[in-house]
Amino acid sequence: MEKDYSVILDALPEDGARPKVLFRQAGDGFLQVEYGEVPRFNLIDSFRVLTVNSAIKSKKIKGLYETVPALRTNLYHFDPLELPVEKLIAEIKEVEESLTDVENIVFESRLITLPIAFEDSETKKAVEKYVKEIRPNAPNVINGYNLEYVALCNGVTVDEVKKLVCGTEWYNSGNGFWPGGGFFWPLDPRCAIVVPKYNPPRTWTPEGAVGIGGPCLYIYPTPTGGGYQLLGRTIPIFQFSQKHPLFKDSPTFFKAGDRVRFYEVSEEEILSIYKHVHEETDYEYAIKTGKFVVKDWLSFYNSEEVQKGVKELLAKQEAGSKVAPRV
Amino acid sequence: MLLVKKGGIETVIEDWPGRIGYLDNGMAASGAFDYVALGLANLLVGNPPGEAGIEIAGGYFEAEFGVDTVISVTGTDMKPTLNDQPIPLWEAIRVSKGDVIKFSHFGEFGFRAYLGVAGGIDVPVYLGSKSTCLFGSYGGYEGRKLQAGDVLNFGKPQEDLKSLEGRKIKKEAVPEYSRVWELRALPGPNSCPDYVTKEGMDYLFSHEFKIQHSSNRSAYRLEAIKGINFFARKDGGVAGSHPSNVLDHAYAIPGALNICGDTPILLIADGPTLGGYLCALSVIMADLWKIGQGIPGRDYVRFVYCTRDDAMKARGELKELLSEKSLA
Repeated sequence: MEKDYSVILDALPEDGARPKVLFRQAGDGFLQVEYGEVPRFNLIDSFRVLTVNSAIKSKKIKGLYETVPALRTNLYHFDPLELPVEKLIAEIKEVEESLTDVENIVFESRLITLPIAFEDSETKKAVEKYVKEIRPNAPNVINGYNLEYVALCNGVTVDEVKKLVCGTEWYNSGNGFWPGGGFFWPLDPRCAIVVPKYNPPRTWTPEGAVGIGGPCLYIYPTPTGGGYQLLGRTIPIFQFSQKHPLFKDSPTFFKAGDRVRFYEVSEEEILSIYKHVHEETDYEYAIKTGKFVVKDWLSFYNSEEVQKGVKELLAKQEAGSKVAPRV
Repeated sequence: MLLVKKGGIETVIEDWPGRIGYLDNGMAASGAFDYVALGLANLLVGNPPGEAGIEIAGGYFEAEFGVDTVISVTGTDMKPTLNDQPIPLWEAIRVSKGDVIKFSHFGEFGFRAYLGVAGGIDVPVYLGSKSTCLFGSYGGYEGRKLQAGDVLNFGKPQEDLKSLEGRKIKKEAVPEYSRVWELRALPGPNSCPDYVTKEGMDYLFSHEFKIQHSSNRSAYRLEAIKGINFFARKDGGVAGSHPSNVLDHAYAIPGALNICGDTPILLIADGPTLGGYLCALSVIMADLWKIGQGIPGRDYVRFVYCTRDDAMKARGELKELLSEKSLA
């Protein structure tokens, strides 16, 4: 059989604020909708994904099981015997064409403040295990950990990495990977550190580990595998037993659209909070409800001061990428 | 009721298609690895094909029945015995209170056996499914694999036990096992020409990949890609320096073939729902059961190119296979 490797089933052209929309084949029961032909890291795409996603969900399309939004893509899971992919694409196109104005979106967004202990002993164990069992001499492990490698890639010091991590609010484009984990992106582009992922990935990461891969930050909800460079450890974000009041309604914590801000603490403090979440169940999470106004963020993002800072970081990263070893 | 005497290597309660609708919260569907073997085991004992059964990976599971009922064993031949007498596979068997069932280990072909029980396994339904998610430690029997001392309850049989006894699966409906598992697949979402070279896609659709020892219920790791110009990009751009890196996207699981660095990893049952590696192809739904029989460290998989139409046809055939028509 002549093999046809093209996977773009359909597309919508770029139109004003809307980037080109690509409908990609992802197996016989999934469709990936991608925004923009050239991959870019721009949160405006995520605001669009989440807005279209809500509209699609309210249509209650027969045969559509679920959607999985991410930064610049949305994955549609459907029963092709009940809902032909062409029909699904037509439904999505209809929503896309009715949405013209992303700049005026305002959505619910909680601000969650979380403590982080950098280079704690648990995540260090995960790196040790990786070097011992999977990749000895991994170039992303320097002095037994990933922090120095992250610094090297970005042309900054380890202290500066910590400041960048704690210096921005991180926006959740949607949950995934493992139960309840959010995919977080820096809202202040001056803090957008970028690193390659593990090659190959780890087989174990402790609960609450904070990692970064590409420009995306992830908190591991339960002990699992993973491919992000490890920074340290924060407090529980998942509790299956649902003993703590925060988890009363669901074992997971994060919602798409949430924001997280980190502050540095000692490992002892983190460990004590684990006890107060999982055993004594009396830890109080710092959560502020609020709204995210896209227009306000855009004027911050595009301001001269922020853009100047972005250029400075990019210059450091370019220098860093020349000296950091490839994984 | 069933009293577990030996948990074996990895024995879990699974149904099919598992926990559907929670991917956007990072919760994979889980579900039986080999849903054909589970489905046929269920048909034999009068259950709907997706009812929960016992999935035995590797072997060495032993248990004692606390009631009279009808059971079935399907999947790989682990030389099961009842009170030390061999019992046939793909057949409904009457068991009595006090009978002891024992499984040896996986044999010549295949890795997982399924034990079906009339009425199914009665564990709590969590988010719409009885399936165990080992990596999230939820679902099934206390979110974990079975161990000695566990007591499983059965559901109410749907049919009269006498009418079930002696039921068999038609010879032509018993799946063929192999040591090189051919999985039909569709290219995408990250394919040629933007992510992978044509040479790279040809390689994926022709090479026989050895299944690595480190494979588990969330991912079947395959041998690394070597000796070819696989990636169409020199790096992952803003997503990272390796060309397998992409800005995090949802994985079409089960069935997506993830390329992590140079390692192809088939994401299945308990797998990750979202991540930052590209996915070059997806195994079609109707063929995914085969991977559950692939033996880590010994068997191979080969991806066979197919079209969307082939996949639709195969879905229809699978529906037929998991129906009463498969009973002799």
